[in-house]
Amino acid sequence: MIRLQSIVKSFTVAKDEVQVLKGIDLRIRQGEFTAIMGPSGSGKSTLMNIIGCLDRPTSGAYFLNGDLVSQYDENELAHIRNRSIGFVFQQFQLLPRLNALKNVELPMIYAGLSKKERQKRAADALEKVGLSERMHHLPNELSGGQKQRVAIARAIVNQPDLILADEPTGALDTKTSRQIMELFTMLNQEGATIVVVTHEEEVAEYAKRIVHVRDGLLVKDEDHVAAKEGESVE
Amino acid sequence: MSIIENIKMALSSLRAHKMRSVLTMLGIIIGVGSVIAVVAIGQGGEAMLKSQIAGSENTIELLYMPSDEELQANPNTMMMAPFTEEDIRAVESIPEVKQVVATSSEYGRIRYREEQIEASITGINQAYLDVNGLEVESGRNLLSADFLGGRRVAVVSASLQDELFDGEDPLGQVIYIRAQPVEIVGILEAPTGLFDFGVNEVYLPWNTWRTVFASSDYSQVTLQTDRAEELQEAGTKAADLLNRMHGTEESYQVVNMEEIAAGIGQVTRIMTIIIGSIAGVSLLVGGIGVMNIMLVSVTERTREIGVRMSLGATRGQILFQFLIEAVTLTLIGGAIGMMLGGGAASLVSYFAGWPSLVSWPVVVGGLLFSMVIGVIFGILPANKAARLDPIQSLRYE
Ligand SMILES: Nc1ncnc2c1ncn2[C@@H]1O[C@H](COP(=O)(O)OP(=O)(O)OP(=O)(O)O)[C@@H](O)[C@H]1O
Ligand SMILES: [Mg+2]
Repeated sequence: MIRLQSIVKSFTVAKDEVQVLKGIDLRIRQGEFTAIMGPSGSGKSTLMNIIGCLDRPTSGAYFLNGDLVSQYDENELAHIRNRSIGFVFQQFQLLPRLNALKNVELPMIYAGLSKKERQKRAADALEKVGLSERMHHLPNELSGGQKQRVAIARAIVNQPDLILADEPTGALDTKTSRQIMELFTMLNQEGATIVVVTHEEEVAEYAKRIVHVRDGLLVKDEDHVAAKEGESVE
Repeated sequence: MSIIENIKMALSSLRAHKMRSVLTMLGIIIGVGSVIAVVAIGQGGEAMLKSQIAGSENTIELLYMPSDEELQANPNTMMMAPFTEEDIRAVESIPEVKQVVATSSEYGRIRYREEQIEASITGINQAYLDVNGLEVESGRNLLSADFLGGRRVAVVSASLQDELFDGEDPLGQVIYIRAQPVEIVGILEAPTGLFDFGVNEVYLPWNTWRTVFASSDYSQVTLQTDRAEELQEAGTKAADLLNRMHGTEESYQVVNMEEIAAGIGQVTRIMTIIIGSIAGVSLLVGGIGVMNIMLVSVTERTREIGVRMSLGATRGQILFQFLIEAVTLTLIGGAIGMMLGGGAASLVSYFAGWPSLVSWPVVVGGLLFSMVIGVIFGILPANKAARLDPIQSLRYE
């Protein structure tokens, strides 16, 4: 489903080229639950942004569902983000003036769905994350865990192939973090492919596979499922 | 993503900052309002001036203006009254001419008992009643029998009642004009317009006037046609005919009303453009205000823009969203401004006594113009929003 080949990403800072990703090769199969770990500044978020089509690699090839999306233009990438990818952020990133339902409707507005269809699907998604009671609340009337649930509902509402979460529990306490990770596990069991960036071992434990990044390179890949099945892993 | 969705979104974000939106609109309201008021008042004034020269009843006046050469060739020309009874008959026989209003006026003394005053004394033919009409307030109007029989009756202006009769009822009283007795049968309505003054006037049937002044010539001739389009042609024919009958070159003339109307139109239009441009400057300032606030709004909503992009909004959709927001702002401001400006114009017109012209083209034009202002001053902020980098924007504090 995801295939990264020699992905390099560099930024120009004060005329100096800084290579943040130095040649990443990674394959993620349909239905996998992967955690990306690594020290701060190692390039995890940069990698996630590329996987999420928010950014393009400086060089290398990125195939998503067999399409070479690293060659796509901005509008095509926006379309991919809308239809195939759901984002969950550390800071929730809900629009403060919209209630939970309206926030969840947003991706469907850009998908061109009718108001009726949007409301129905947004309500369904909120029910799925256990927030049907809070549909008409504004974000600042919700707890951190509830906000993150709204964000997850928003991420899944367009039925994307891929859910990407960059430190989704970074702003939550341990108990709430567990609930959120259980929610991801449930979504994964329903067939969603999930990639989570995290610092916390405990959070990474929920994933079936843990990929370690250091200094822009993959250094370790613990694939419990693949190991069980006796496959070799790139 | 539909336009309606965008408009709803724009309205809700404008509502989120009510005070700011209203203050921003104020610039547009004042700008559009003053432009609309100036244009409407200008057009109203123009219409009034035009209707005054063109005569709303399809009438055109025949002028007697002998040239210098003609005066030298025949020094008596000036002394002659310009239109004879014969002339009137001839003009009446022109096919396009419906009727001919002929009058003669003298400024003279009138006497009632021991009182004397100066008044304009006008002899009118019967056509005058049809075309110009005399608005009689009390008593009766002049009748056919008065015209045919040359009866010694008169209709007088309301001011006479005060000046000659000391407020007594003049009806049925006899006044003397050139020592000839004339009975007052009607009193005209007092004028109401802002620029009308009470003038002492006496109207006599033509035949009566002729006997009183012992003169059978008319000083003023106006002809009327059925259709406005025939007016100029009929007038020209009449002037040519009279010149031929009197052996003159161009002593008899008609004004070219189209030229005069065009001239007046041009003057008022230039005035409107000048004042309108000054008002337009305030619109420009209002537009800059919109741009300023939109730029602030884009900066404030950087994160929102990042979120929308991450959820699949294209740069085009972001651009459109902010453009619609700016246009909504100016459109609402423009609509309010138009109502206020139109109201101001109606008020001015009401007191000046001329038609107020807030026409549909002006309304539609005004709304379109407000939209254009929104697009012009919204494009820069909208473009700024659309060019934001989604990753940076999501990190924006
Ligand atoms: N737009 C950019 N311009 C310049 N440097 C950048 C840019 N984005 C990221 N970097 C640099 O790339 C490196 C990796 O950043 P990244 O955000 O991917 O790290 P991370 O692994 O997510 O760290 P953390 O765990 O703290 O979130 C950092 O040193 C950062 O300064
Ligand atoms: Mg990071």
